[in-house]
Amino acid sequence: TSSVLSKDKDKSAASKDSTPEGAAKRKEDGAETPKQQLLDIIGNMKVEVSYRKKLQQLKASENKKQAMNKLEGLDNEGSVPQGITEDTLRGKPLNPELVKAASAVASSLPRNKKQTESELLAQLRRHEETTDKQKKGGTVNIRNVISEMTVKRQSLAQRGARISGRISLQLDEDGHRIRRERSSALSMDSRSLKVGKRLNIFTKASTEPEHALKTVSSPTIWDLEFAKEVAAVTAQPPRNGFEEMIQWTKEGILWEYPIDNEVGMEDDAEFHEHIFLEKHLKGFPKEGPIRHFMELVICGLSKNPYLSVKQKVEHIEWFQKYFEEKKELLEEI
Amino acid sequence: MAAAALCWALRAARQVLPSPCPRQVRSYYVDWRMLRDVKRRKMAYEYADERLRINAIRKNSILPKELQEVADKEIAALPRDSCPVRIRNRCVLTSRPRGVKRRWRLSRIVFRHFADHAEMSGVQRAMW
Repeated sequence: TSSVLSKDKDKSAASKDSTPEGAAKRKEDGAETPKQQLLDIIGNMKVEVSYRKKLQQLKASENKKQAMNKLEGLDNEGSVPQGITEDTLRGKPLNPELVKAASAVASSLPRNKKQTESELLAQLRRHEETTDKQKKGGTVNIRNVISEMTVKRQSLAQRGARISGRISLQLDEDGHRIRRERSSALSMDSRSLKVGKRLNIFTKASTEPEHALKTVSSPTIWDLEFAKEVAAVTAQPPRNGFEEMIQWTKEGILWEYPIDNEVGMEDDAEFHEHIFLEKHLKGFPKEGPIRHFMELVICGLSKNPYLSVKQKVEHIEWFQKYFEEKKELLEEI
Repeated sequence: MAAAALCWALRAARQVLPSPCPRQVRSYYVDWRMLRDVKRRKMAYEYADERLRINAIRKNSILPKELQEVADKEIAALPRDSCPVRIRNRCVLTSRPRGVKRRWRLSRIVFRHFADHAEMSGVQRAMW
């Protein structure tokens, strides 16, 4: 590829010099010019000429192409040139070169010259308008796309490595094939990913502004009915026993297997909270039958593995309340 | 006899479930007796803790007897349906009060019916 590029560079230099010349001279180059012009453009990618100059260059090349097409193809009058679209302004008068080309074509045709010329020019204008419209629509400007692309130059060593890699089966310690990381390939490029103008190929997902919340006081009956209908339709009867069991498990009718004995029991309390319940006995008198009774209660509760700490504390509190209510009675005794 | 009972069993009206279920759902209890049994079970569940505590006071040799008498009166004042003694383990399908096996909650007739049709898992006719 390097040889081709060098040749293109020479050609591009030559073409740059000859750009201001008339279109007539260009016609002599033959069918090669359009292709070479394309190559010139690609070859010039690295050299970031000012945007304006590039524009002019491209326009000139396109004019030449168009002139070529017109001369060669008599059947297709005003055909659309393939490839790069032109970046002309609206309402701008047609290029004098184009006009010249059109007049030349018209003169070559046997029919009414003026009429054909006017028709050709009209077609040209229409074509430009359509291209403008397309451009405004946001079609991909290939120029922009290509401008950022660089021709990758492989070093000989890399080439050799790649070929050898293809041939041999290099195995890692684990037995996996050695793969050059993608990241290394990316990092080898001189440019980074985020440098350069945006290509606008992908449309940004338009963040719709949130609609103003509809003030719904309560879901209407129709909404409820609709919801019920949807639920009824989506809840298809189970096709087989497995689906039936799944449904039951979801509803809670069937337990989950393997059976977990502690489902629903989430006692995060430590063992000492279960056993040492004396701290809850602070409201009670320190001596007497009630204390004796409560200590027995606590002993029993501490041995109970089925109650949660909360329930045990509730028991004790109930007793406390009960004995406080009966205090007067107890005083009599 | 039981079959006749099945045929003309009274349907007690119960609340129909609001959400639509594709399966068959028994929205009625088999008979009123079953309904009452259900009510008793619910009440017994509600008052279980209180009854336990008051009984703990009553069945006591430490606390003074006056206190225990007061507790007696209190427990008697609780609603009658709250005591668990009034619950009867009826058959779940036919509401039969007698001949109910506890493990399956079914009366002997229903149990036999299902077992013969091989609808009881792990149940086989005895032969030895």
